[in-house]
Amino acid sequence: MFVSDCRREFYDVIVTQRVLLLVASDVDALCACKILQALFQCDHVQYTLVPVSGWQELETAFLEHKDQFKYFVLINCGANVDLLEILQPEEDTFFFVCDSHRPINVVNVYNDTQIKLLVKQDDDLDVPAYDDIFRDEEEEEEDSENESEGSEPSDKRRRFEEDVIERTMKRRQRREWEARRREILFDYEQYEYHGTSSAMVMFDLAWVMSKDLNDMLWWAIVGLTDQWVQDKITQMKYVTDVGALQRHVSRHNHRNEDEEHALSIDCTRIAFDYDLRLALYQHWSLYESLCNTSYTSARLKLWSVQGQKRLQEFLADMGLPLKQVKQKFNSMDMSLKENLREMIEESANKFGMKDLRVQTFSIHFGFKNKFSASDIVYATTSLMENIEKEGPETTNFIKALDSLSRGNLDKLHQGLDLAKKQLRAIQQTVASCICTNLVISQGPFLYCSLMEGTPDVKLFSKPVSLCLLSKNLLKSFVCSTKNKRCKLLPLIMAAPMDVEQGTVIMVGIPPETESSDKKNFFGRAFEKAADSTGSRTLHNHFDMSIIELKTEDRSKFLDALISLLS
Amino acid sequence: MEPAEVEFLAEKELVTIVPNFSLDRIHLIGGDLGPFNPGLPVEVPVWLAINLKQRQKCRLIPPEWMDVGKLEEIRDQERKEDTFTPMPSPYYMELTKLLLNYASDNIPKADEIRTLVKDTWDTRMAKLRLSADSFVRQQEAHAKLDNLTLMEINTTGTFLTQALDHMYKLRTNLQPGESAHSQDF
Repeated sequence: MFVSDCRREFYDVIVTQRVLLLVASDVDALCACKILQALFQCDHVQYTLVPVSGWQELETAFLEHKDQFKYFVLINCGANVDLLEILQPEEDTFFFVCDSHRPINVVNVYNDTQIKLLVKQDDDLDVPAYDDIFRDEEEEEEDSENESEGSEPSDKRRRFEEDVIERTMKRRQRREWEARRREILFDYEQYEYHGTSSAMVMFDLAWVMSKDLNDMLWWAIVGLTDQWVQDKITQMKYVTDVGALQRHVSRHNHRNEDEEHALSIDCTRIAFDYDLRLALYQHWSLYESLCNTSYTSARLKLWSVQGQKRLQEFLADMGLPLKQVKQKFNSMDMSLKENLREMIEESANKFGMKDLRVQTFSIHFGFKNKFSASDIVYATTSLMENIEKEGPETTNFIKALDSLSRGNLDKLHQGLDLAKKQLRAIQQTVASCICTNLVISQGPFLYCSLMEGTPDVKLFSKPVSLCLLSKNLLKSFVCSTKNKRCKLLPLIMAAPMDVEQGTVIMVGIPPETESSDKKNFFGRAFEKAADSTGSRTLHNHFDMSIIELKTEDRSKFLDALISLLS
Repeated sequence: MEPAEVEFLAEKELVTIVPNFSLDRIHLIGGDLGPFNPGLPVEVPVWLAINLKQRQKCRLIPPEWMDVGKLEEIRDQERKEDTFTPMPSPYYMELTKLLLNYASDNIPKADEIRTLVKDTWDTRMAKLRLSADSFVRQQEAHAKLDNLTLMEINTTGTFLTQALDHMYKLRTNLQPGESAHSQDF
């Protein structure tokens, strides 16, 4: 059931208990976790943090801890499946689910006792009405009782006929109801999409309790920006949420305008920015950033020689000398940096890049440290999905979690370096895929598969990196192809996951259109195809559109998908 | 003594906070504290004030000497005099550090205050070094310095006493030779 008063029904209940936090592996969940941890530290709540990256880990963690805890908080996992069936908990365990995955499973919505959903009510949820899906079983029993009643023989025959008619009517009604129910559920669960970021929900909870700080606001901003960077929400939703956060930003940061009462330079300051969309440009050189941001490299078609020439023209149009542009951004001449944003926007309009500027936020503390929200998102993602194993499984998660705190700037800088490597790897892979025509149209969708020997292919065995790669690839493909029909197709991307076990990780992403609603039907499609072909698949990830399967089953799986979707 | 120990002693000083929760009087070994009522200022030791501030349960009010005008006067006076002037609090350095680290958003003009306190500290340390230097040179037997705070004494204390011990040993090693001489004569 939905929690209407977050504070009373959620926080006040757990503040006196020991709680188990199960946190999914994405930046939005990390930010929500940080906010919740800060609130717990204020009130001395005892909690245990368990990072989970898939359903199997969730189940093992639950089985391990179910004897010690009665209250479980799930962040960015668990809303889109029937939790009670998967976990089989006792009667007195309670689950608080704060998840941005939609659609929310109907059992979770209508369960009154054990599952509480921390979700904003004004998200367009479209949950089907209770009566359409659930039906009391009592009516069945009444029928059978009537049948077994004995009575006089003369009336018996008449009553028998009436009973038969009644029963067939009821059976027909029941069948109609069930058909309608299947249809409603199919429509409801067909498309996967994302709702409000969990970090923003947690920040609202902190705000309601008047414990919101600038730091927590920053984490909420990073959570929202993560959803935008990974293309999980529509542009309109992003702009609406940015507006909501902007109100909080001005409330917390208005003192910086006034010279008299300005805060110490060490205090965190957040500012609203209408900033460039170039990834990590303030920590890199402008040239590298232009080459490695998907938006610019797709529009300028930087994988071809023509594209490189266009880039040079673009820079010349702005009057930026190559020597300046190729050095670190902080060392560029001040005169060039001052009007950079306006200059770039003007020139970008001429080259077909109308949305080069985007509304975002930046944080500023001390004299040296200025970061934009998307920088932090890229840094944290690459820390979390770092393929270099440095210890037990969870060190990457903990490192990424730590890098979000102000005091751990060294981890943040390490994350920025890893992010640069990752972005370069993505661009090179995209360029090679497009130049060698690896993206083939299979009919209802486009398909691309990475071979094992491809450089940096190990980076793409992780789900979030592979998703970023696929989205970039689709954007670039749409800009490069002349086939109008292909531009509207979705993409399925496959990459080798574990060479020894022979598994492949596959993601499906929706088509790239101007006003797409980011709804993804691949979750259900993958499930059906796996069932029909008996392929050995593992639907482990919280996003249903990411699966792992055995390399041998790949071709029959794809054939089943083609026939399913055509 | 370690500087951390001096800071620990400094945390016993009282500072005013404005809590946002309510609690009855609490009875601790060191004394009674409270009662706490939201919006009403109350005096508590610094260790409790910092803990409550970190848990977002109060707002700190800077002590009255932590003000740009007053600190400028103190700094100027320190620079004029040759001896040490009395400081507004025997733990001014530790309190400044603690309050500015954890509660700088409650203290107006925090950066300037930090600079002024550091200036005063530097002047006093320079005077201390000068006085230790002249003490050693003139081989005085004892010296008296007024208005020093525990933190300042602590920075030179160990070094100065050990150095003087060494010098005493070196000096007494010269003496037996002389006295032996004089006796033989």
